[in-house]
Amino acid sequence: MTTVAADPPVQTGRKTAQVHVQRFGAFLTGMIMPNLPAFVAWGLITSLFISAGWTPNGILGGFGNADLIGWQGAATALATAEDGTTFPQYLGLVGPMITYLLPLLIANQGGRMVYGERGGVVASIACMGVVVGSTVPMFLGAMIVGPLAAWLMKKVDSIWDGKIRPGFEMLVNMYSAGIVGMGLAIGAFFGIAPVVTKFSEILGNGVQSLADANLLPLMSIIVEPAKVLFLNNAIGNGVLVPLGIQQTIDSGRSLLFLVEANPGPGLGLLLAYTFFGIGASKASAPGAAIIQFFGGIHEVYFPFVLMKPALIVGLIAGGATGVATNQLFGSGLVAPASPGSIIAVLAQTERSSYFGVILSVVLSGVVSFLICGVILRASRSRDLAAGADGGLAEAIAQTEANKGKKSDALGRLAPATAGAATTATAVLSRPIHSIVFACDAGMGSSAMGASVLRSKLKKAGVTDVTVVNLAVANLHDDADIVISQRELTDRARRQAPTSEHLSVDNFMNSPVYDTVVERVVASHEQGGTA
Amino acid sequence: MTEILSKDLILAAGRARTRDDAIVEAGNLLLAAGAVTSSYVEAMLERERSFSTYMGSFLAIPHGTNESKESIVRSAVSLVRYEDPIDWNGHEVRIVVGIAGVNNEHLSILSKIAVIFSDSDEAKKMLEATTQDEIYEVLAAVNEE
Repeated sequence: MTTVAADPPVQTGRKTAQVHVQRFGAFLTGMIMPNLPAFVAWGLITSLFISAGWTPNGILGGFGNADLIGWQGAATALATAEDGTTFPQYLGLVGPMITYLLPLLIANQGGRMVYGERGGVVASIACMGVVVGSTVPMFLGAMIVGPLAAWLMKKVDSIWDGKIRPGFEMLVNMYSAGIVGMGLAIGAFFGIAPVVTKFSEILGNGVQSLADANLLPLMSIIVEPAKVLFLNNAIGNGVLVPLGIQQTIDSGRSLLFLVEANPGPGLGLLLAYTFFGIGASKASAPGAAIIQFFGGIHEVYFPFVLMKPALIVGLIAGGATGVATNQLFGSGLVAPASPGSIIAVLAQTERSSYFGVILSVVLSGVVSFLICGVILRASRSRDLAAGADGGLAEAIAQTEANKGKKSDALGRLAPATAGAATTATAVLSRPIHSIVFACDAGMGSSAMGASVLRSKLKKAGVTDVTVVNLAVANLHDDADIVISQRELTDRARRQAPTSEHLSVDNFMNSPVYDTVVERVVASHEQGGTA
Repeated sequence: MTEILSKDLILAAGRARTRDDAIVEAGNLLLAAGAVTSSYVEAMLERERSFSTYMGSFLAIPHGTNESKESIVRSAVSLVRYEDPIDWNGHEVRIVVGIAGVNNEHLSILSKIAVIFSDSDEAKKMLEATTQDEIYEVLAAVNEE
């Protein structure tokens, strides 16, 4: 017993942290994945209509002079021409979509996952605060503010939950969300937007000092994460392009233009998803790769990184490889490649630099592909277990792990300590406090399942775990474990992306129940020792 | 218990031979007791087509869809026992429990049935009970615990 008690806490800390990271990853995926079509739409519009696009269109691309083009009725803003005069310029689709639409969609989804539709609405209101409180695209801001705003709304609602006089619920609910939303929008405007703006400034300064110190490949350590947070233009145009132009004047070319614009790392990442990804991300990666590599719209690969932040390692290594290659061959571009398409890159390549530049794109792609591939491969079985398999594989593995542990080292222990024996392995999850059974109507099957598990838990002496049953449609993302019929698990997972999901075929006699009971018992004892 | 699952909602010898007939048989008991309107029985059939309510241990618990809750007048549970197994999507079913539940009023009776059927000895008693009274007693025994 003493050996058992001595070892687990160390393991617990690590495992719990791992679970937290996994759950955080699942949350990010849930926030980004449903919005991928919007990214693709924006990518297509951008690669077609901006001034450097395939079919430049001043009205849709948002660079045309309204006085010259004369299309009436579209939104315009005053812009400054090169000669210093001002003219009415079309807003177009590109700018407003990336400034407003995409961050709002992300915030809405994040809010929705925390607190349903109401959370989504409040999250969107608050997100407007960060969007207009800054001049850089607010993806990072949206990913922070959205879930936070919904969580605050949930807390605020819980204050007067059940205390509202009948008949006044609608009024109270509407105004409380409106007032909280207003407050959060203002708070985000002054509190969060400047922080994110400052953050992008700091990143820019970091790149600048690395360039000054001639540690060029290390720039990728800052540039790649900054890109993924949609701060690419702030750094690309703000720091790298001015420095690059200076170098071109001095030596005829600069590799700085390629640090951010090199399409190789992103291509490598998307190809890695194409071959080693799972589910929807695997299916959408090839299309994104075309938009990214030929269209030069790097933004389409950012969601793929936001879903699985570990992949940033592959991008940094790929980017650094590209920079190092150009440094080695003394190759570079004569002007910024914008957008960062392979075609724009080749068009701007200095005449003696083709070999180095092409090699830098190829090598950076290969390096990024290999590293991202390894990372995706390594987490594949876990992702599959959590994604397509309904968590059953996990449950089976858990059971086997428990059994294995029992049978070898702890085999001689008396049956009375068998519960404690499982402690060592059953720490993969956070302490379990709430279990929800979900079925279509929330009336029959789930109620039966909940009853059976409740009576099993009671027999095991567990009293502080709530087991309830719900219709899948009413599921919220706050249960520790959600148990549903196999056919419904995917739907349940969409409703509650960060909960652990288990599937059952037979609600009355599922082996999953005993596993859950063992884990609950274990996690409680764990909580006691920790 | 008497209100939700009264003796007239128990049928010890069901006549249906197919799954859908059994659902209608259990649904009609609910209908006769004034617990649901006839559209609820339709919803029970519809629900069964999308997801099986087979529970394991010879038990099925047909009930309506989430949307059909409006056709429930009051919470009630019916129970039909079949001497010969009915083919329920490839599984054998001998006890069909029709459920019409609102506001979780039916949960205590449902959890009794769940507890009975998760224990094979108790389930056997239920399967071997041949009269309305015997079935009622098996259910009531759980009540007394």
